[in-house]
Amino acid sequence: MAIGQLHPVALAGVEPGDASLGFYVHVPFCAQRCGYCSFNTAALEAGAMARYLAALPRELDLLGDLPWARRVRIATVFFGGGTPSLLAPDELAAVLDRLRARFAVAPDAEVTVECNPESVARAKLEGYRAAGVNRLSLGVQALDDALLPRLGRLHDARGARAAFASAREAGFGNVSVDLMYGLPGLDADGFARAVEAVLGWAPAHLSAYALTLDAGSRWAAAGVAGLPPEEAVVEQYWRLARAAAARGFEHYEISNYARPGFRARHNLIYWRAAEYLAAGPGACGFVGGVRYANVRATPRWCETLEQGTLPVDASETLTPRQRLAERLILGLRTADGVPHAWLDERLAGDTPLRRRVDAWRARGLLGETGSGVRLSEEGFLLSDALFVELL
Amino acid sequence: MRLSRIRNFSIVAHIDHGKSTLADRLLALTGTMDAKKAVDQVLDSMDLERERGITIKAHTVRLLYRARDGQEYTLNLIDTPGHVDFSYEVSRALAACEGALLIIDAAQGIEAQTLANFYLASDANLTIIPVINKIDLPAADVEGTRAQITETLDLDGDEALAMSAKHGTGVPEVLEAIVQRIPPPQGDPDAPLKALVFDSFYDSYQGVVVHVRLQDGRVRPGTRILLMSNGRTYDVQQVGVFSPDMRPVEELSAGQVGYITAAMKRVADAKVGETITEAARPTTAPFPGYRDAKPMVFAGLYPIEDTEYEALRDALEKLRLNDPAFTFEPETSLALGYGFRCGFLGMLHMEIVQERLEREFDLSLIVTAPSVQYRILTTKGEVLDIDNPSKLPTPDKIEQMEEPYVRSSVFVPTEFMTAIYKLAQEKRGEHKSLEYHGKRVHIRFDFPLAEIVVDFYDKLKSISKGYASFDYEFADFRPSDLVKLDILLNGDPVDALSVIVHRDKAYEKGKALAEKLRAVIPRQLFEVAIQAAIGSRVIARETVKAMGKNVTAKCYGGDITRKRKLLERQKEGKKRMKQVGRVEVPQEAFLSVLKS
Ligand SMILES: Nc1nc2c(ncn2[C@@H]2O[C@H](COP(=O)(O)OP(=O)(O)O)[C@@H](O)[C@H]2O)c(=O)[nH]1
Ligand code: SF4
Ligand SMILES: [Mg+2]
Repeated sequence: MAIGQLHPVALAGVEPGDASLGFYVHVPFCAQRCGYCSFNTAALEAGAMARYLAALPRELDLLGDLPWARRVRIATVFFGGGTPSLLAPDELAAVLDRLRARFAVAPDAEVTVECNPESVARAKLEGYRAAGVNRLSLGVQALDDALLPRLGRLHDARGARAAFASAREAGFGNVSVDLMYGLPGLDADGFARAVEAVLGWAPAHLSAYALTLDAGSRWAAAGVAGLPPEEAVVEQYWRLARAAAARGFEHYEISNYARPGFRARHNLIYWRAAEYLAAGPGACGFVGGVRYANVRATPRWCETLEQGTLPVDASETLTPRQRLAERLILGLRTADGVPHAWLDERLAGDTPLRRRVDAWRARGLLGETGSGVRLSEEGFLLSDALFVELL
Repeated sequence: MRLSRIRNFSIVAHIDHGKSTLADRLLALTGTMDAKKAVDQVLDSMDLERERGITIKAHTVRLLYRARDGQEYTLNLIDTPGHVDFSYEVSRALAACEGALLIIDAAQGIEAQTLANFYLASDANLTIIPVINKIDLPAADVEGTRAQITETLDLDGDEALAMSAKHGTGVPEVLEAIVQRIPPPQGDPDAPLKALVFDSFYDSYQGVVVHVRLQDGRVRPGTRILLMSNGRTYDVQQVGVFSPDMRPVEELSAGQVGYITAAMKRVADAKVGETITEAARPTTAPFPGYRDAKPMVFAGLYPIEDTEYEALRDALEKLRLNDPAFTFEPETSLALGYGFRCGFLGMLHMEIVQERLEREFDLSLIVTAPSVQYRILTTKGEVLDIDNPSKLPTPDKIEQMEEPYVRSSVFVPTEFMTAIYKLAQEKRGEHKSLEYHGKRVHIRFDFPLAEIVVDFYDKLKSISKGYASFDYEFADFRPSDLVKLDILLNGDPVDALSVIVHRDKAYEKGKALAEKLRAVIPRQLFEVAIQAAIGSRVIARETVKAMGKNVTAKCYGGDITRKRKLLERQKEGKKRMKQVGRVEVPQEAFLSVLKS
């Protein structure tokens, strides 16, 4: 599709259904690309950051010019990457100020920044806090000093611990830690040690992702040695689930654990199939039944904005059937599950599917929540097999 | 038209030696088709033919050529199928010719199909013109190839022409040689009509279009014709030639090649090998060698979606209009539901039918393991023809089982003899004779048909580096020690996976089959036990472990579309699975019976 012609119009033509939206900002730069990474990243070349920082406010302005922009409230802001913590506090503050100038950002909005441990000294984090950031997501991934460089990470275990301590010292009470499991050369005991160590820091929130070799990553292309067998990955999942439960964490989404009151509000928007805007290269938004994605390549994204056009590259208007399927497959990722009515709507008239869903129930993979159904922790592990059916 | 101005010929060659390229050249050079307009390789007109690079149906083109003697000649080119499944069709097409161009790649030399085609053409008493092709290639060895022709074929290598079909060098000499060396047809235009059917196809406007070679007599619109094998009569509506599209003419007469339409509804009404004559004045001598093309291999065809049953039946009926060698009748399977038992000439034929059903009719199918037809003598004295293993009576009701045998010929360079004998032994072959022809041998074996229908030809080709050629014909039924091998999934027998095998091979086959199924059946929520059994005796067992984990941990920064697309792709894959009891079995599982 032609860039910046059809799609921004499509975005102008839709009306958000929700009164409050999330807002995602993609910061694509990374000092070095991790082996497993398939995110939309950009090399930190000379001038690239400056050009990005000049273009981003234009995108916020253009989004702010949408006819309905003034009517919605922004309830969450999430800086994801890439490595958003490469932004200096004043740079981040400028972006947030611009956003507040263009949109009604709620005073109690959750404002999260993804941070890589090596790039967060205490002073920087204090600056973030002063700019209005109230939640950090720390990309620790592992605590094994032999493993971290293999992953392509730039920090070591000490650095990770120090970064967490800095966050605390800077006054952040809501800090999430990212871990990975199923990593090459990491056995269940090694992973469990990392989990214990991280839980010992008493974070508010923990995300743990099983390694997947996604298309676009170096490891998917070139392969990687030492991947653990499936049973070992499954064991790591259960070790984590048990350890987190023992510390009072709630396993509220397939890969996410929170202490009471600390679920990630921004991510909950995704899982509830609710609406959010997005800015930055390759960022994806969802408004008024339309999913859209920005131009991925950072230079082209900049260029489009320099020409004064919204950098929307692709958009898709969901059919009612697709909306329902998304609600189910996103909602079932969470412990809240989905209302009976949604599932019944999908199963209406499809006896073979109903029978297969019943098989999930019979095996204890799917259970009742009172008002609806949810996957059990065992069901989480197999969830894609159900989601394929529910599409 | 004077017979002296007609030449009927075929081009035969080992695959890829340049048959289609030469045909295109001849068309362009004679102005039969504007060279610019020439779609590459016009003769391979079905999509499938072009993709696979093999000719499946015979094709006919009429070329008008002004020779160096100043006269204009009509050259009828009859292109022949290139696979052993269709060797009967090839022999009929060659019977319609007086000569053949035998193309030999100058860089490859004589290969298996060169030899097999040479024998077919000699058997049909054709004048053979050897033509060495691809002389433009740096690796071309024209003199070596001439020597090979003299040595291996009963031809004079010095008389071989040399050309580059690709660049056109030497092609005019080929045209001239067709006129000079191939004899004109002989026949009496005033004698009773006698025409050989060498192909026919169904056209929705004209009905069946019959390709014929006239030996004697004449035919024109209005002629009342008689089909000698079945006694049916028809009034001719149109006669014509292919140049290369159908072009009506007033009359076809002795020696000519063309087509006839006569409002026939099914291709089966005018089968290949049929003799057409005048109803009022029939010929006394039909062409010899006519036989009904009989299916040799049988398999069940089932729609993956039960709702497509009717659509499948309609599609089968349409295909059969054009392909009388293919048969079908309804059958039911406990595992697969409602479907059809279909008969085919061989495996290629089966694949072609399956591909056409899926492509031209957009159906998703399960094809069960192919079987030959067994003859069963029951204890009550009945004789049953069984082409579906699940229909086999229980052992206590069987007095004797017989399986079909074929007589086969293998031509192969002497260096591969040991390997061929070893393969023949594995395939329960009985050696009949051995003859030396220079550096090659001609070995005759009798084989159980079941042993050769599936992958014998491929194996033969691979152990002989492509040099062996193979041909076979049905011989008879012979008593054999056969057993039914059943496959059970989680304890339930799956009728569509049963096969009949020789007792000596049952264990090996059962083990291979169970292993193969383990590899193709995806992991499910529960463990799947796969058992191979003879009667109640389990001879092999494999397990597909329950799925341990199937989860996408992360939704990348709200990119839900990406996640959904990934799942949609998986769902597409699942569409090709059939639910058998509680187990989801992929389409390829049924065919894996073949390959193990
Ligand atoms: N160099 C060269 N290639 C040729 C010549 N004739 C055919 N080919 C190539 O050989 C391949 C097989 O030719 P084709 O006519 O399809 O062979 P067929 O299988 O006998 O019909 C094609 O890639 C042709 O382009 C030739 O004279 N010279
Ligand atoms: S994993 Fe994160 S830090 Fe590593 S390259 Fe990808 S976006 Fe950058
Ligand atoms: Mg060809």
